[in-house]
Formats: sequence, structure tokens, C-alpha cells
Amino acid sequence: MAWRGASSLRLRLLGLTAVGLTLALLLAWLVLAGLFQDEVMRQFRQALEQQLDQLTARVEFDPQGRPQVDPAGLSDPRWNKPYSGLYWQINDADQVAQSRSRSLWDTQLSNISDTLADGAVHAHAAAGPQGAPLLVLERAVRSAQIPSGRWRLLVAADTQAVQAAVQRFRGVLALSLAALLGLLLVAAWAQVSLGLAPLRALQRALVALREGQTQRLEGTAPLEVQPLVDGFNAVLERNAQVVQRARQQAGNLAHAVKTPLAVLGQAAEAVVTPTPGPSAPPASVDLARLVLEQVDLARRQVDWHLAHARAAGGHGLPGQRVLLDPVLRGLVRVMDKVYATRAIDVRCQAIDAKLAFAGEEQDLQQILGNVIDNACKWARAVVLVQARLQADATAALLVVTVQDDGPGIAPALRDAVLARGNRIDESVPGSGLGLAIVADRVAAYGGAIALDPSPQGGLQVEIRLPAAL
Amino acid sequence: MRILLVEDEPSLALQLRQTLGDAGYAVDHTDNGRDAWQMGGVQAYDAMVLDLGLPVLDGLSVLKRWRQEGITAPVLILTARDQWHEKVAGIDAGADDYLTKPFHTEELLARVRALIRRSHGQASAVLHCGPLSLDTRSGRVTLDGHPVAMTGHEYKVLTYLMHRPDTVVSRAELTEHIYAQDFDRDSNTIEVFVARLRKKLPASMIETVRGRGYRLASP
Repeated sequence: MAWRGASSLRLRLLGLTAVGLTLALLLAWLVLAGLFQDEVMRQFRQALEQQLDQLTARVEFDPQGRPQVDPAGLSDPRWNKPYSGLYWQINDADQVAQSRSRSLWDTQLSNISDTLADGAVHAHAAAGPQGAPLLVLERAVRSAQIPSGRWRLLVAADTQAVQAAVQRFRGVLALSLAALLGLLLVAAWAQVSLGLAPLRALQRALVALREGQTQRLEGTAPLEVQPLVDGFNAVLERNAQVVQRARQQAGNLAHAVKTPLAVLGQAAEAVVTPTPGPSAPPASVDLARLVLEQVDLARRQVDWHLAHARAAGGHGLPGQRVLLDPVLRGLVRVMDKVYATRAIDVRCQAIDAKLAFAGEEQDLQQILGNVIDNACKWARAVVLVQARLQADATAALLVVTVQDDGPGIAPALRDAVLARGNRIDESVPGSGLGLAIVADRVAAYGGAIALDPSPQGGLQVEIRLPAAL
Repeated sequence: MRILLVEDEPSLALQLRQTLGDAGYAVDHTDNGRDAWQMGGVQAYDAMVLDLGLPVLDGLSVLKRWRQEGITAPVLILTARDQWHEKVAGIDAGADDYLTKPFHTEELLARVRALIRRSHGQASAVLHCGPLSLDTRSGRVTLDGHPVAMTGHEYKVLTYLMHRPDTVVSRAELTEHIYAQDFDRDSNTIEVFVARLRKKLPASMIETVRGRGYRLASP
């Protein structure tokens, strides 16, 4: 199941979104809560500094150096309420408390051992009455009347309320962001579901196709998916065409082979059960001759249809590219062996290594193989293969010429050798289909084949095929 | 001349054995690739006729193994695979000729003859040694233009010697190349055939090289 989960596009998208959103909102929570705390503490300290300023303004020192604070000057009622959370205290130079607010009651602020420049303000955290956390501000002062005297004024405030406010804010913020995360996840789910809906529709269309309810993918898809649908429909149509053609070819082949079979069957029947009448059953030599003739006919039909079936395979697909040179070299290696007895010299003249055919390799092999094979069959000594590129604004053509020094073909017979199954000379083995198959295959690629007298004295075959650049 | 025939289709194999046997060859036959590979490694054949679609080990692999093991006997591929890329693969695997089924018997025999001839550096179908000529196509032997009648075994011995003129051929080698594997051999019969040949040819043509074998030389 883990594997299925990982392979689901929807789960992957949602998982990624959930992780991203959670991280972003967590970061937002940390930053916002931090900013809020800083701001609240800044205001709290500012208020406490004002209290320290007030105390500084209201304090007087008698000639004995005892601090006197005018209670009327300190307006905040919390100064007088015991343990109210707002306190002041005045220490002498030895850090002994000389005076303190009523709110401190029976306690005093603990001393902090540091040195202070005159007028400077320090802040500390300290524990106050009943263990409450306090923010303490202190300032060192001198009196004009007693130049040697030095005092510290301390004001302190309970921070519990502020901290509670910060905690409350963090909690509310966390809840709000969690709610936001939930909403965003729901939105993401909706978005993904909506976005993947065309794929589900495609899936349903495929099911319908598989169950035979439709012949192609029906309906329109969004801009991004439509090319997929169109491509798939094109493949389907091509498949249907191939199947159609295969059926047709099987039918053609069966039909073509049935005729020789029927002839053979009738001849055999005439021997087995001779019909009464003047015609005698055929002699065994005649019968054998008939069998040879019909078998040869059947074989040529099979060769022709087989070649046609192989050709029907792949051409027309874009992006095909076969280099000419390696194909020619392979064919020449075969010719060198097969025609070794007659020592036919097959020469490939300076074939450009970059020349390429826009089609299937097997088709190129069949076309060139048949043409060169035919040339070797008839040549006296030399077969010459040349190739060039002929490109103009509209098309690039690969032009291959094969010349032999054999007897050549009379102009009147040239069309006949390109027609299916015509053998103009029975003295050389072969089905008589070689050039006809070439013509068929070349035509399938929209190319051309031309037979002319060769400068070597024999036949020249020129083939034009689409070139791959 | 001894030929290895590798063909798994029984009726075609039978026909080919008869055809090649009638043409004067000693024929060993097997119907699978692994046996073919082993037989080719053990016995020095004058030619091998190899089908490609074989059980156990396919023909192309057999051929590649032979060539890797340094077996240089000429190989004719005889197969229904008639696509050009299949022919290229066959030749590149080390075949010396390629013939597709269906084929004419005469075509096959001509190619086998040519293969054997070429492997001995003979260009012509007619072998000559002094006044003696042997036409490998027709099986006709002439001495100074007059036909010489031969029995099958005499012809086999003479053909083998004429492919290797001026070379000493041992009795064992002659036996190897004249009899098929399943034939009951007796090397003494070689002496009988040689003796009969000497009566039909100028006596000095077949020399006995003591302890080594026979040599055919122009008188």
C-alpha cells in the first residue's frame, strides 16, 4: 500500500502542500509571537522607566543623608497597596535600603552587586515578594546638598501579567494558524482534485475504449491534456489501419496461394481418380513439371506479399534516420561472399558518411540490397554504387545509383521488370520480384526509381528517397 | 570430401543427405546446434552447410563459436531467413556464403563446390594436374581429353588428391575425408582404391611417400 500511496499523484501533491504549508505557518507563528513579546516588554519597561523618573523627581535628601519621598507626588495607588506588584526602594552607597514603598510591606528588593555610572539606568530580572518575577530598574543619583552621598533608586514591577498576556497571545495565534492550515489544506485538496479531474475522465474514457463501447478517446480535454488525447487517438487510428492492412494482406496472400493449390489438387486428382474419357492422366514428368511451375508461382506470391507486409510496418513515422554508409558496407560484405565465385567487384564510390535516409533501416536494406543483388547477378565484373544528396527549398532527396556492366535491359522491357513478378530472363536464379519489390517500397516512401543504360554498358538503377538531414 | 550438414527439418535433411551423397560427398548430419558445434570442433570438414533456426543452440551462435575456436572450414548458411540484415549478420558472423530457402539443388551443389575449391585456392571449377582434368560440376574425369570411368570411391579419392596437388596426404586423412562418420571404415580399402586409380592413370602420377602417405604429381 505504501508503494501505491507513493505512486498516487494526488497524494504526492497533497503531501508536498501539507508539509510546505505547515512549515510556513510554524515559521509565521514563531516570528509573530516573538515580535509581540518584544513589543509588550518594551512598553512595560517604558512605563516602568516613567515611574523611575517620577521617583527620581520626588526624592529629597535631608542633611543626614536620609532620603525623603513626597508621597503626594507618586500618584499610582499600587505604591501603597501591599504586594501590589509595583515597588520602589532607595539604597545608600553600601546597598542598604534606606527607604521603600509601602507596597513592599515587610520585604525589600534584593541587592544587585554591580556598579552604576551616575544617572545610568540598569534593568534586571529578580524575584520579589512571594517569589513573583520582577523587572527591576535602578539608577544611581547624587544630591547637591551632600556631595559625598550616593544613592540607588530602584523601581520594580511584577511581570507575571505581561507574561500571561504573551502566553495567551501565543495560544490564540497557534489556534488561528492551525485553523488557517486546515482551510488551506482543504483548498489544496479541492485544487488537486479539480486539476486531476481530466485525468480521471481520461481513465474512464480508456475503460470505455477497452470495453469496446467507443473506438477512440471521446470528449475534449484541457489545453495541457488535449495533445495526449490527440496523440493517443492517432496511435489508435494507426493501429486500426495496421490491423486492417494485415487482414487485407492475409486475405490477398491466401487468395494468391489458393490458385496454385487448386491447380495442384486437380492435377493430383486426375492421377488418383482418372475420369473416363479421351484425356489420359498426365505422365509423371508432366506432373512434376506442373508441380515445379505451381510451387514457383506460389513462392513468388508468398515473397511478394511477405515483402509487402514487411514494408507496411513503420514508414511515415517522424524522426527516423538511418545512415547510408554502414548499410551499404554490410550489403557489400554479403555480395563479396555470395558472388565470390564470379569475382564481382562491388565498389562504393566515396559515400559521404553523413548521408542518411529518413525511414526504416530494414526498408533501406531491402531497397539497396535488391538493387545491388540484381546488379551483381547480371554484371560481368564490376558494380558501381554512388550516392549524393539533392536538396532544394522543398525537399531533401537521397539519390543512390547502382551501375553494372552486364547486358542491360532493352528500353521496351524496362517497365516490365518493375511490374510484379516479371522475369525477363529465366537463366539466372531468383523470383523476378527483386526490382518490383524495390519499386513498391520506394513508392511507399514517395520516392522514385528510374532504369537507364549504364555508362559501364549495363543497367543503371537510380533511386530517389527522402533524405534525413 | 567430407561435409557437415546441420539441418533440423527431417525431410529436407534426408533430401540434402541424398543429394550431397550422390554428388560424391561424405555427409555427416546433425539436427541440433550443440552437436554441430562439437562435431565441427572434432572433425576437419571440407565444408559445412548450416541452418540458422536450430534447436538447443542457434546456427549463428554455432558459427561464432567455430570461428572463435579457430575453425576455418568454409560455411554455407542455408536458411529461410531472407532479410538483408539477417544476411549481413550471417556473413559478419563468419559465413562464406548464404543461400536462402527455397533453393534449387543445382545452386546448392554449385556453391558447395565453389566453397571447397576456394578454400583450396582453386579458382576454376575444372581441376587440372598434368594431362588429367576433373570437372567438379559434372564429375567427369578426362586424361588427355579422353574420359576415364571411375567408381564413386575412386572419384572421391582422386577429387581429394586433386584439390591438393603436390601435397603429401596421409592415409588417415584420406579416410577421414572420404567416409562419413557412421560408415564402417577400413584404411586398407584406401590402398585398394589407390591401386585401382594407378591402373587408370599414368603410373607415376600417384606417388607413395614412405611412411607418410600419397602425393599427386604431374608426370
